[in-house]
Amino acid sequence: MISREVCARVLSKAVSTGADYAEIFVERTVNHAINMISDKVDSINDSVVAGAGIRVFKGLRSVSASTVDTSVEGLLRCAEKAADALGQGTAQISVELRERLFGDIHPVKVVPASVPNSEKVRVLKDGYFAAREHSDCIKQVRGTLLDVDHNILIASTDGIYASDRQIRTRISISAVAEKNGETQTGFFGPGRRMGMEMFEHEVDAKQVGIIAAEQAEVMAGAGYCPAGVMPVAIGNGFGGVIFHEACGHSLEASSVAYGLSQFTGKLGQQIANPKVTALDDGTIPNAWGSINIDDEGTPARRNVLIENGILKTYMVDKFNGRRMGMEPTGSARRQSYAYTTTSRMTNTFIAEGPDSNDDIISSMEYGLFAKAMGGGSVNPATGEFNFAVNEGYLVRNGKICEPVRGASLVGKGSEVIMNIDMVGKKLDLGTGMCGASSGSIPTTVGEPLIRVSSITVGGR
Amino acid sequence: MDFNTFKKLVTEAAEEAGISEYELYYSTSESTDVGTFKHEINEFSSSVDGGVCFRCLSGGKMGYASTEALTAEEAREIVARAVENASVLESDEQQFLVAGGQTYKEIEDKSYDLPDTAELVKTALDVDAALYAADPLIIDGSQGGAGILAGRIAIYNSKGLDLSCENRAAYYIAAAVVSKDGEMSDSYEMKIGSFKDIDISEAVNKAVGDAKAMLGADVAPTGSYPVVFAPRAMSSLLSVYSTVFSSESAQKGLSRYAGKEGEKVASDIVTLTDDPFYKDSAMPRSFDAEGSPTYTKNVIENGVLKTLLYNLKTAAVAGVKTTGNASKAGYAASIGIRPFTFYFAPGDISEEELIKKAGNGVYITELGGLHAGANAVSGDFSLQSSGFMIEDGKKTDKAVKSFTVAGNFFDMLKQITALSDTVEKPRSSGSTAFCSPSVLVEGLSIAGK
Repeated sequence: MISREVCARVLSKAVSTGADYAEIFVERTVNHAINMISDKVDSINDSVVAGAGIRVFKGLRSVSASTVDTSVEGLLRCAEKAADALGQGTAQISVELRERLFGDIHPVKVVPASVPNSEKVRVLKDGYFAAREHSDCIKQVRGTLLDVDHNILIASTDGIYASDRQIRTRISISAVAEKNGETQTGFFGPGRRMGMEMFEHEVDAKQVGIIAAEQAEVMAGAGYCPAGVMPVAIGNGFGGVIFHEACGHSLEASSVAYGLSQFTGKLGQQIANPKVTALDDGTIPNAWGSINIDDEGTPARRNVLIENGILKTYMVDKFNGRRMGMEPTGSARRQSYAYTTTSRMTNTFIAEGPDSNDDIISSMEYGLFAKAMGGGSVNPATGEFNFAVNEGYLVRNGKICEPVRGASLVGKGSEVIMNIDMVGKKLDLGTGMCGASSGSIPTTVGEPLIRVSSITVGGR
Repeated sequence: MDFNTFKKLVTEAAEEAGISEYELYYSTSESTDVGTFKHEINEFSSSVDGGVCFRCLSGGKMGYASTEALTAEEAREIVARAVENASVLESDEQQFLVAGGQTYKEIEDKSYDLPDTAELVKTALDVDAALYAADPLIIDGSQGGAGILAGRIAIYNSKGLDLSCENRAAYYIAAAVVSKDGEMSDSYEMKIGSFKDIDISEAVNKAVGDAKAMLGADVAPTGSYPVVFAPRAMSSLLSVYSTVFSSESAQKGLSRYAGKEGEKVASDIVTLTDDPFYKDSAMPRSFDAEGSPTYTKNVIENGVLKTLLYNLKTAAVAGVKTTGNASKAGYAASIGIRPFTFYFAPGDISEEELIKKAGNGVYITELGGLHAGANAVSGDFSLQSSGFMIEDGKKTDKAVKSFTVAGNFFDMLKQITALSDTVEKPRSSGSTAFCSPSVLVEGLSIAGK
């Protein structure tokens, strides 16, 4: 996108007032989404995101500037703006860039941009009508087939000159069911860091529609979830959002470096139940949140965050790592050039444990089985989190009973991860988008079936 | 290249392609933000972004394509892509472009000089210092911040429409973190407006006071009782449920208000208004995202649903006129529907009287996880909350958190028994701002201990 020579000139300008680090991030992304509603292809979003972001550090200070003008003059102006904002001074370092090739551990067989709209529409319709025709109670369906072609180039005064092309494909189906005047929704939206070959062997579009429709149908016939404190079994796959919210965000350097995390200063300590081992792994081939390099050019890594309940590492970016005295962990991410990079999650999950699913359910005298989870949020400083249960069932005397709607789970992260006292044997991953200061990024959550011995269930 | 040069190239490409009805929507924004950590400016960022959305009628369908790269190559590309995208669309709802020459309401000029970088830095450092001086419980991680945002939108089409508007705003923020006996609590307060003669102490004291008040908070007891939503909490609830007033949602079977115009949907005391020219709005707008003139309207008036919100397409389906509520969630998005400043009209009793009326219940100051715990289609919500207990008609200092409030938005509007006379500044959420007095709702479910 931008030559090594131009990057070197821009970085030299960026460090001209005394910065001890400078970095340029150049991006060209094509976003394409086909949307269906009321049984028809209703709209197509098709946009090119293109620009550059420049960051300079001096000690513990960071300055960032972004521009849509990626001409040499535009980039030099942007670098000058960043350099000026840092203050008065003279260049302390020289710039030498060496091209690095990291290889691609996430091969793409069918680049979505090379597939005509008509073919994508066919796949979307498979999923859409599988939901629409699933049952008479399905009154409306919305469907989206999304593909993203995200090209990035990073050059920095560490000598890095590296690029990555991140292609992602996702289908999501949302169904509305109506029974006796009550409407409820169901949703399923799997995605991968791959191209259209995703639909050949990884994701069955029809099955996606059926799962969404079944969920809507079950929930439309459900009564309200009772409120109270009880044991909860959380299903595998997207259920891993509990770790993402209750613990993951609080392990990001963006909160830890400033003491704004419940887990600051806890490295090497027992912070979770000994049954809990949790990882953030950007290297899982073709997983939705996977990368080859992060947005600072650091290669993706498999980070063991918690091992048998002991905190092993945080997720660290270059800037916050300076304050913490820690090396970057391949966790630096940004939605686009217009956002300032910080430490974020990639594919984050609780590893498989020793308990069978039957043992987990039968251990519960009275509680909730949260089969499918919705999104959530957390305040990393206090650890208070919430997330929604999209499909829940009451458990009585060790048996899964009737479905219940409108439930949410709230609690304090540091307490809840201590209460994860049973962990199942079958890991599954779920697809999500995570929003924070550096924008909205693709992240995977995951877990086997787990039991939380005690948590507040919001219902009525 | 600049927008005007790019516009000319796109116009030529469109005409070459035989496209006679098209529109360009241009949006750009510039922002500068500074933040402190431990009495120093820790982060400084300055961002420029924006792009152009081209849409055109091709074979009766509206195709879209957008780009941030304003180059000669892209000018031809977006025309070709929009035509290709139109070719697979199936929806038979009629699509329109607005003709030029309409009358738009003049917006009162309330612009002010934006602070320069030195002023932003000084204000952020002043807030930082004031936070540490305000209370011994303040810890590192407390932050002063300040910034400016300037945005411009322009719409140009083949039917003679040529509109533009600019919005500029400055803000500063006080983020307080307090700690006592190993427990942390935080809160923030943001002020938008001119930095001339600013008094940062109010924001600082509010943030510190709110953070301290939640220290030692207990979990609320489970049960069903009266709930008072403070203005901030009700504004955030309204922001999630604003989509139920969209005619698009109604026509697509995604809102329970389909076919309910003219019917009673809320308590008599409830009036809900959409005002594009709201007095405290940071971004008043005289035209919507399609270029139609905007106006003020009551969506609910004394409990009766007077109108849903329309754009040109949904108005044509319903056989009514647009309410000027076309919106875009970002320049590249397709046309949707949103209110501008959306607010519950204040009632006629003070907040003290409203709390007295509640008797025994919960006063909710904050709601969390709205994107997950509130479903706009079913109306069900179950949301993480924090606030204070109300006992014997008085708000106590017994703070409560980590509990949920659950109910159904459609039912809740009928369960509102009082609104206070409090008027707060609207809170922005994307291109819309929301505002509410304190609201008393009977009989919501609280799940805690």
